[in-house]
Amino acid sequence: MASHLVGSSYGAINRIGARLSIRTSGLFTRTFATSTSANVYKNMNPPRTEEMPWAEVHEKGVQRFFWNELIRGMLVVTGHIFKEPATINYPFEKGPLSPRFRGEHALRRYPSGEERCIACKLCEAVCPAQAITIEAEERPDGSRRTTRYDIDMTKCIYCGLCQEACPVDAIVEGPNFEFSTETREELLYNKDKLLTNGDRWEAEISSNIEADHLYR
Amino acid sequence: MATSLGVLSRKCTASLTQLQGALRTTSLGSVRTAAQWNPDPKWLNQFKGPILMPETQPDHGGYRATLPLYNLNDHPVERKCRNIQLNFGPQHPAAHGVLRLVLEMDGETVVRADPHIGLLHRATEKLIEYKTYMQALPYFDRLDYCSMMYNENCFALAIEKLLNIDVPPRAKMIRVLFCEITRILNHIMGVGTHALDVGAMTPFFWMFEEREKLCEFYERVSGARMHANYIRPGGVQYDLPLGLMDDIYDWARKFNQRIDEVEDVLTENRIWKQRTIGIGVVSAADALYWGMSGVMLRGSGIKWDLRKTQPYDAYDKVEFDVPIGSHGDCYDRYLCRVEEMRQSLRIILQALNKMPPGEIKVDDNKIVPPTRKEMKESMEALIHHFKLYTEGFQVPPGNTYTAVEAPKGEFGVYLVSDGTSRPYRCKVKAPGFAHLAAIDHIGKQHMLADIVAIIGTLDIVFGEVDR
Amino acid sequence: MSLIQKTLNLFRAIKQNGGILSSLKTLYVTDDLKWGTHVGTDKYGNKYYENNYYFLSRNRWVIYNPDFHLDYDGSQIPPEWHMWMHYTTDKPPTVKPPVNYKWMVPHQENKSGSSEMYYPYSTTRTKIESWQPAHLRTADTEEQNPKLFNIPQNNRIGVQ
Repeated sequence: MASHLVGSSYGAINRIGARLSIRTSGLFTRTFATSTSANVYKNMNPPRTEEMPWAEVHEKGVQRFFWNELIRGMLVVTGHIFKEPATINYPFEKGPLSPRFRGEHALRRYPSGEERCIACKLCEAVCPAQAITIEAEERPDGSRRTTRYDIDMTKCIYCGLCQEACPVDAIVEGPNFEFSTETREELLYNKDKLLTNGDRWEAEISSNIEADHLYR
Repeated sequence: MATSLGVLSRKCTASLTQLQGALRTTSLGSVRTAAQWNPDPKWLNQFKGPILMPETQPDHGGYRATLPLYNLNDHPVERKCRNIQLNFGPQHPAAHGVLRLVLEMDGETVVRADPHIGLLHRATEKLIEYKTYMQALPYFDRLDYCSMMYNENCFALAIEKLLNIDVPPRAKMIRVLFCEITRILNHIMGVGTHALDVGAMTPFFWMFEEREKLCEFYERVSGARMHANYIRPGGVQYDLPLGLMDDIYDWARKFNQRIDEVEDVLTENRIWKQRTIGIGVVSAADALYWGMSGVMLRGSGIKWDLRKTQPYDAYDKVEFDVPIGSHGDCYDRYLCRVEEMRQSLRIILQALNKMPPGEIKVDDNKIVPPTRKEMKESMEALIHHFKLYTEGFQVPPGNTYTAVEAPKGEFGVYLVSDGTSRPYRCKVKAPGFAHLAAIDHIGKQHMLADIVAIIGTLDIVFGEVDR
Repeated sequence: MSLIQKTLNLFRAIKQNGGILSSLKTLYVTDDLKWGTHVGTDKYGNKYYENNYYFLSRNRWVIYNPDFHLDYDGSQIPPEWHMWMHYTTDKPPTVKPPVNYKWMVPHQENKSGSSEMYYPYSTTRTKIESWQPAHLRTADTEEQNPKLFNIPQNNRIGVQ
């Protein structure tokens, strides 16, 4: 009873609060009261206070004796045998991926074949796992390029911050996730490996970036 | 009593040496000293006669064994006996990860449960002190890796509180939408594995089919199926892609039936009831004393839900009920979790219908990086981009304790900022830690098999317990 | 109704797979027997099929080149078909040809564990070079022994 009273007074305060907030500011500010008008707590298994009526005793007895609920559960389980299985037959069938998928890294090139990375080292700076190592030098033609671009894929946490940070769309997390290896060493990617990845996957990477360009 | 036991054991050792002698003569090769000896009729026959004679002692008020005469010359040997210590986990599948539980058993009854934690310790809190706020966000995915976006949301809310910014309404609603998807994701895991541990395997498979679909929603919105890195300080990372809301609606319409199926199999099932009713009872007072939160608290009948008591994001814009229990046992908590899934579904449908248009990030380039288009066209935006991804944004000095109602309970972040771009201190308040601490209190005097049910109902995940 | 449909599907699948014997072979290799429209074949001989009778993520599938037999691998699908297989796009490369630049290299499956596997090496000259005694140094110039100077044979850095 007491809790009911408290609940109703909360509701009253809240109605005032809601009115206040609507009058003062926009739709999505916090209301004055700390609780909403729909302050409903629902007891899932209330304690039994009165004696069990005979009808319920009878029902429970029947259920106990004839295993109603066990048989029903059994039937539900059996019914699922006849349903179409939800499993897919990998690698012949594959699950959906979105253009935003963050998989194996790749270094991209411009359509002319010039590599995009300008060694600004933003990805190295932002990488939370410190998986990226970059060294840069001036190339004979005077442009700034990396001489070392190593990603330790065993450290990488695939958070996607490197591709967000890259100002020239050079480092991307491509759509490939089937790059598991048998040894640790194979996961220490160097610049050649990353560039080759980019050259292999460019068709899909560019298509994905195009598909997602409205949101980026 | 001790002396009489000594007599018994001495007799036992005497006959053991005889037995070993016999073994030594008859055995073919080497003698195994670890041979197990079982009482044989010959050995038992010698105790046929009266040996332990109970005699009432006025000063002791109990029984005293009278020793046979020939034993009077020997000094009785003191022997200590203690209960069996059982190592539960960390490889046990019901340990939900890397819980090492040292159980002191009295037969099959648990006398003391001693959780040993730290096997998944990664020093997250210390690492965060050396990361910018943006870099620290992925670490939160990996705390409670069953409810990823909730952790991110808590950290983002804490930063926003220190920055004194308010995120746009659409971002708030997207957060609510994905937080509730996360809640279902977590409860599928919690209820499914709880049932699996207790012995009902099938619901786990059904529910994981749904979990797969939810992971796909995660993937479509953020690019990763689990560790999303999606809810950022100042909003969310990307807007919802076209068609995602339709698909979530399609899924949400059908999910209630999946819950019904699970309830058909579990809720009224007598085996499930026998395994959960009256097991792991936590009284309302104990739940408060042990610092529990979430379903562990509500299962005992305490009306407390941070989404109601201090609504964050857009939780004051959606209507939902908070299920509570009254007995505080595993069964009530299971009912609460199932009902929470249904209420989450209700919130998801409302969030889909009420999704406001507009921005998804704060319009402040000192906090939120500019879009790629801006960054490539405007020099100023490019400078902001470089500053944000190297140095990060500065947060004014201050501290905050921000808590959200994560699926497991109150997930809080105590964040201290000293005005630089890195947190001075970031303390994570994980709900599972408090729940696991109470396992000795809850699990005492239960059977060994009930410990499994209790671990299941605590819904602990070691990413957040060990941090 | 659905039983008739299923029986019909079985017959169609057997017909498409070229009789009972080769259907059994397909069943042995792929653990599944399906029928659908042939969408295309990539340059490695993998055939791609689609049939929307099956539910999403079972409605597109690949039959790997029979030369692979049981050595099929998920990474044998080239990128342009990869995005169609993974439902990232609905247009197969036969409908919408992928971008083609002259510097792009052909796809390669995951070579881990084989002799062609990737092994990491440094792409830069070592900062500290160990001292070489004079009598050993005579023949070891950079051209004659590039391994000593840690320069990869297939150095592909820079403009191609």
